[in-house]
Amino acid sequence: MQRISGYFISILIISCSLPTRAQDSIKVNLNIRAGFDIYGPASYLTDQKNLNLEGYISIDRDNKKSFILEAGHQNFQYSQYNYSYLSNGFFVRAGIDFNMIKPFEAAGKYYAGFGLRYGISLYNSGFPSYEHDNYWGTGTGSVPSSFHVAHFIEVNPGIRTDIFKNISIGWNIRLRLMVYSGTGKDLKSVFVPGFGNGAKSFSPGINYYIILNIPYKSLYVKPEPEKEPEKETEQSKH
Amino acid sequence: MKIKVPKLYRPVILLIIIKIIASCAPDTCIQETTSFLNAGFYKTGTNTPLPPDSVTVFGIGNETNILYGKALNPTSVSLPLNASSTTCGFVMKINNMTDTLRFIYTSYPHLISKECGITFFFSLDSVMVSGNVIDTVAVINKNVAIFNAENIRIFY
Repeated sequence: MQRISGYFISILIISCSLPTRAQDSIKVNLNIRAGFDIYGPASYLTDQKNLNLEGYISIDRDNKKSFILEAGHQNFQYSQYNYSYLSNGFFVRAGIDFNMIKPFEAAGKYYAGFGLRYGISLYNSGFPSYEHDNYWGTGTGSVPSSFHVAHFIEVNPGIRTDIFKNISIGWNIRLRLMVYSGTGKDLKSVFVPGFGNGAKSFSPGINYYIILNIPYKSLYVKPEPEKEPEKETEQSKH
Repeated sequence: MKIKVPKLYRPVILLIIIKIIASCAPDTCIQETTSFLNAGFYKTGTNTPLPPDSVTVFGIGNETNILYGKALNPTSVSLPLNASSTTCGFVMKINNMTDTLRFIYTSYPHLISKECGITFFFSLDSVMVSGNVIDTVAVINKNVAIFNAENIRIFY
């Protein structure tokens, strides 16, 4: 429920604070942003086997597009009745965000759009123990930790809004597709840092960010002219 | 107060709902987790399937655990290989005539999924048969996995 309320609070903040009527041009800042994910550390409080620390730096190219570089570190441990698994490593993602809100309404403060990323994960993974039962009894073994490089792409819809001067909050959903796991087809990684479940080619995720905005340039943006309703051309019959 | 959600956000909200539903799904293993060597029965000299009247199968050294007990008219049998060894054998009674089959193979671990964990796959090297009722054995697919592919053909 906390997650759900977090999403809708963000949506409400944006929905209620978009400027609806303005006639003159407004000053819009282009920003360099530094965002820190708080979802990973918050999750760590409930699941101390998994820690994800990540953040990003972005720079607005104009009032619709931003270039972004994300980086992080992730530790993952998992065990169940028939195996245990460990992975840890670093990841980077680079890409671009597209703001779908009109520049005048966004005013440099609001974002609702989607991003495209290419990610690389450099990680170690291994199975300290596993067992398998069949007709002949129980087979056991272990797979020592080894180094892998994974490549993936992702689409991440999300929103962001200013809450104080130069401070924003925002979240995005990550819809990731594995391009190359680097592990071979038999012992895929249960978890790839920065990607998620490496046993599947698709992995969703979410981040919630606190963002520091540093303005580096200003633009003046005018509202887009409203389209006039088309005049009726049909003539009445006499 | 009625809150109107802009059209722009609707796909995002839909994705959130999908994500929440997906994350609430329990982690359960619903796949087959044991690899079987699948053996089909054929008439000698042809590629015509010939189900025996009855088949009994058990592992050599594991006689108390019967895999097939006088199974009637099976078109094939599924044999589990021993992952702790590079060879294992089975006693096979086809129409009350006894034969033994011995398989030599290499095994390797395979991750099925996060939920199911690891199983063993096998690469079949060779098959030996005592030759009482079974005429020949042909290896069709040497990769023994959790898929239902036919691996050998037993001609009798």
